[in-house]
Amino acid sequence: MAATPRSQTGRILLLIGRIALASIFLVAAYGKLKPQAPGPWSVGSMKTSLSMFAMQVDSFQLLSSSSADLVAHTLPFFELFLGLWVLSGIVLRLSSLVSTLLLGGFFATLIRTYLMGLEINCGCFGPGERLGPKRLALESLMLVLSLGVTIGAFIMARRKSAPAESTTSAVGLEQAR
Amino acid sequence: MKFRRVAQRWLATGVLAIAAIVVAAPALATKQTAKHTPPVTKTSTVPDEYIVKAIGSKSAPITMEVFSDYQCPSCGSLYEQTLKPLISDYVASGKVYLVHHDFPLPLHKYGYEAARWVNAAAVAGKYPEVEAALYDNQAAWSADGNIQKYVAAAMSPVDFRRVAKMMEACPPPAAGVTPASYSQAGKPAHGCPFDASIEKDKALGNTVPVSATPTFRFYYKGKTYGPMSGVVSWPIMKQFLDQVMSQ
Repeated sequence: MAATPRSQTGRILLLIGRIALASIFLVAAYGKLKPQAPGPWSVGSMKTSLSMFAMQVDSFQLLSSSSADLVAHTLPFFELFLGLWVLSGIVLRLSSLVSTLLLGGFFATLIRTYLMGLEINCGCFGPGERLGPKRLALESLMLVLSLGVTIGAFIMARRKSAPAESTTSAVGLEQAR
Repeated sequence: MKFRRVAQRWLATGVLAIAAIVVAAPALATKQTAKHTPPVTKTSTVPDEYIVKAIGSKSAPITMEVFSDYQCPSCGSLYEQTLKPLISDYVASGKVYLVHHDFPLPLHKYGYEAARWVNAAAVAGKYPEVEAALYDNQAAWSADGNIQKYVAAAMSPVDFRRVAKMMEACPPPAAGVTPASYSQAGKPAHGCPFDASIEKDKALGNTVPVSATPTFRFYYKGKTYGPMSGVVSWPIMKQFLDQVMSQ
């Protein structure tokens, strides 16, 4: 027995959304960790990139210097982990929920900063991006995508556990998860 | 069985992601650099013609370039919170060469006028003193436009007479005329000798590009870091400078 067309479409959409969401986090982590001046990758270049990212976090004037430093040195690695987690599809409900909460937090911070009139760089995907309406629009799209993946993951999991679903569909959904 | 499947999936994802990063990273890094390098950074330092107002030793390992507007509150905060300790510590000890560029914004009524006074003071060798005086009293002169008062307080009467004499060629803005209309296409619309330098700094800023003040960037061993905008606290900037120098 084959999966219904509706669940098949849902699975494909969820897969696309999952890859897109994971890419966002992987690209964001890459942008923060890559050498900020021309040169090869090294531990030193990565440390410099992170200390430069710390300046960007600090310019948001939201955290103390020590907290900004801590966030700057952990966030890129967490984004890398989250990207891989979402990409793997393991416990997608949880990984997408964490993504949505994280992106929601970023969005709230950016809105606050914009309303405060601080003309700073976003630092979301590395240096040089000015925080403005365009950035906010992109950030809101990412939040919508994450929210969509989260809802999709919960719906799929619910369908899987529903007794009306066929065994074949359930196996397919398990693979999608 | 389930554990094995999960482990296999993690392994495959990890290997794929690491492979993608390893393959794409150098190419992307090169592309990014080529795309964002403005013409002036080809020299990997600030060209002499742009250095009119600077503090410290030119042979310092790090050069920090700051584009600011004397009337901009964030520029004042950066100066008071970060540049002051930087000047007394890393500039004084020869680690950083601090170069200022004027980037007066049209929305600040007295920003251009303040930049002229600072340029005149720089000719008289009093740039650091006047810059400090203007930022220390930013709120006061931003309210009434009396920049002269704080410039005079920052130097001896003899030096001030010299600076004031130079400023005679710079008429104050006429009623209704905004600072932005002082010059067209980089050419001074009158005889103020400092406007050419200010316009040159603005043109340099536009190549960075500077979209807000303060904007700053760093040069170290032929590499350019930045630009970045906003106020950064001294401990965080110090950490960055130490990290760059440790490379």
